[in-house]
Amino acid sequence: MMENTENTYNRGDRRNRGNMTKMIEIRDLTRIYGDGAEVRALDGVNLDIGRGEFLAIIGPSGSGKSTLLNQIGILDTPTSGRILLDGVDITKSSEKERSRLRNRKLGFIFQYHHLLPDFNAIENVMMPLLINGVKRSKARKIASRMLEEVGLFDRMDHRPNQLSGGQNQRVAIARALVNSPEIVIGDELTGNLDSRASDAIYELLRRLNREHEQTFILVTHDEAMAAKTDRVIRIVDGQIVEDSG
Amino acid sequence: MFEMNIAIRHIRSRQRQTIFSVIAVALAVAIITISMSMLSGFTSYIVDATVENQPHVTVSPEEDEDYIYLYHGLLNYIRRQECVIAASPRYQGDCALQYQHNVEGVVLYGINPGDETKILNVEKDIVAGDFMSLTGPGNRIIMGSKLAENLEAEIGDAVTAKFPGSKPTDFTVTGIIRTGTQADETLAYANLGQVQGFYDKGDIITGIGVRVLDIYAADTLAEKIDYEAGYDATSWMEGNREILDLIDQQAGFAYIFYLLIFAISGFGIANILIMVVMDKVGEIGMLMAMGTSRRSILLIFLFEACILGMMGVIIGSVLGYVSSVMLASYTIPVPPEMYFGLDHLPFLITPKNFIIAGVFAMAINIIAGAYPARRASKMDPVEAIHEV
Ligand SMILES: Nc1ncnc2c1ncn2[C@@H]1O[C@H](COP(=O)(O)OP(=O)(O)OP(=O)(O)O)[C@@H](O)[C@H]1O
Ligand SMILES: [Mg+2]
Repeated sequence: MMENTENTYNRGDRRNRGNMTKMIEIRDLTRIYGDGAEVRALDGVNLDIGRGEFLAIIGPSGSGKSTLLNQIGILDTPTSGRILLDGVDITKSSEKERSRLRNRKLGFIFQYHHLLPDFNAIENVMMPLLINGVKRSKARKIASRMLEEVGLFDRMDHRPNQLSGGQNQRVAIARALVNSPEIVIGDELTGNLDSRASDAIYELLRRLNREHEQTFILVTHDEAMAAKTDRVIRIVDGQIVEDSG
Repeated sequence: MFEMNIAIRHIRSRQRQTIFSVIAVALAVAIITISMSMLSGFTSYIVDATVENQPHVTVSPEEDEDYIYLYHGLLNYIRRQECVIAASPRYQGDCALQYQHNVEGVVLYGINPGDETKILNVEKDIVAGDFMSLTGPGNRIIMGSKLAENLEAEIGDAVTAKFPGSKPTDFTVTGIIRTGTQADETLAYANLGQVQGFYDKGDIITGIGVRVLDIYAADTLAEKIDYEAGYDATSWMEGNREILDLIDQQAGFAYIFYLLIFAISGFGIANILIMVVMDKVGEIGMLMAMGTSRRSILLIFLFEACILGMMGVIIGSVLGYVSSVMLASYTIPVPPEMYFGLDHLPFLITPKNFIIAGVFAMAINIIAGAYPARRASKMDPVEAIHEV
């Protein structure tokens, strides 16, 4: 951890990010898919993201946005290159450690809410805490506060099939944030919503980002939404072609 | 235990499939416990019938000898053995019995009535008189029912025993015994001392009958006596090897049959779990994204197999128990002679059978659950999440 801080602090950092501490450092990250006809989904990506940043990743379909997000989310392993979360090289972590990091450091929101259909809203929000080993009563308390924050306090006992798409996505957001992760990643999380609902979600994320100082990385097709973030990274053919930071 | 929590929800959300797979396991357990109770009952009936009518271990003279001389030391040695309940010295000889004009060949057993009743339940076969009456004064004899009929002798009559070289001796009939076997035509009991006197041989015997605590330990005891005392000792098991082998063989076939039944019910469990796993791919991916370890994913589905199996075992055991009790109280509508002298199905309902069936069923259900559970735990989270 010490050596990394020393060596990488200035290397890939093209802009001066003020006194923001680094949360994520990506070095020469390459992800090649396929046997035979190989696809370079990521091609030597270098990127630093600071604590509390609110940024958008945009780019044409198939450019590697989801691939990058899955790498940061430790859901996938790179073909080559390194990713440091808080100074820890996650590409070298064991399977167990990766699960632990996903649980403690990361919150995921996908295009589809992926709520567990057999559990109601609060139980879904409690799930990351229970996986973390938090006691049920405590988990319930934290989860209900979280649901209140996303404005669904009165829908606690509803199952996913009893909630609207936007409401389910809010529950998913509450679930992603309930463990107070340092990094929240969203892959087209408003893709299934109309513009009013997605604006509301955007406002919600923005507020949570301000209040909790968590790092938000959002992949989006929605240029208008991207424009409202602090920093926009554009990817084409697996390479970063623009960084508005 | 969030794994258990998720497992329970999965099961609860698909009640119809749950019911079917539980019924499959329950039926398997019920059929098998009923069948095991019947097999145990039949085995123990045969064993009891065999063991009740002969000593558990019979000690005979050394090779090339006809008698056991100086047998008191041997008797004490046998009685000192831990598993031995009782030992009875016997003098067995042939002779002729005469009553008025009737003469019959007889196998005459000289015994100490007190010892003999401790190794064989002879009293239960006495149909007239009393076995312990042999202890009374004078020469007394108890004879088989057919023998008494053939001699036309009754209780109180004096019969004469004759043997070449022996002095004809009178015995008073004080009891009639009916074992239900061929022995009833030739069997006679008298006091050991009197029989020894009749044959004029002194204090020697032809064998010792032994009763042990655990009938299945008879083999070991026989070997020990054989080895340590040098006398020829035979257990009831040796004497009935064919019957016992037949029972073992039957049990072996039965277990293969049980395995097949359980395998069928195991497929039911595997089937429902494969469906759940296929249905829950996206959920599994999301659970992994939330930091659920592969081990926990495995556990979720193994728990499901356990819960389904457990419900099946409990319901099946109750069903098996109730059916066994009902079948056991049912009177067979054929004459007992046609069914080993039984008028009821010989059920033996023991906890052991239920435990074996339950453990067996659970083991197979967990094996059945292992494949889908492993498949779930090996999923790639990225691919799984994409599969909504
Ligand atoms: N599992 C995979 N196997 C093979 N190729 C893959 C796989 N996943 C992604 N790819 C390829 O990698 C490239 C990047 O895919 P990715 O999903 O990251 O694109 P994206 O930018 O998220 O696109 P979209 O905006 O359509 O979601 C694409 O060419 C895609 O076909
Ligand atoms: Mg994508």
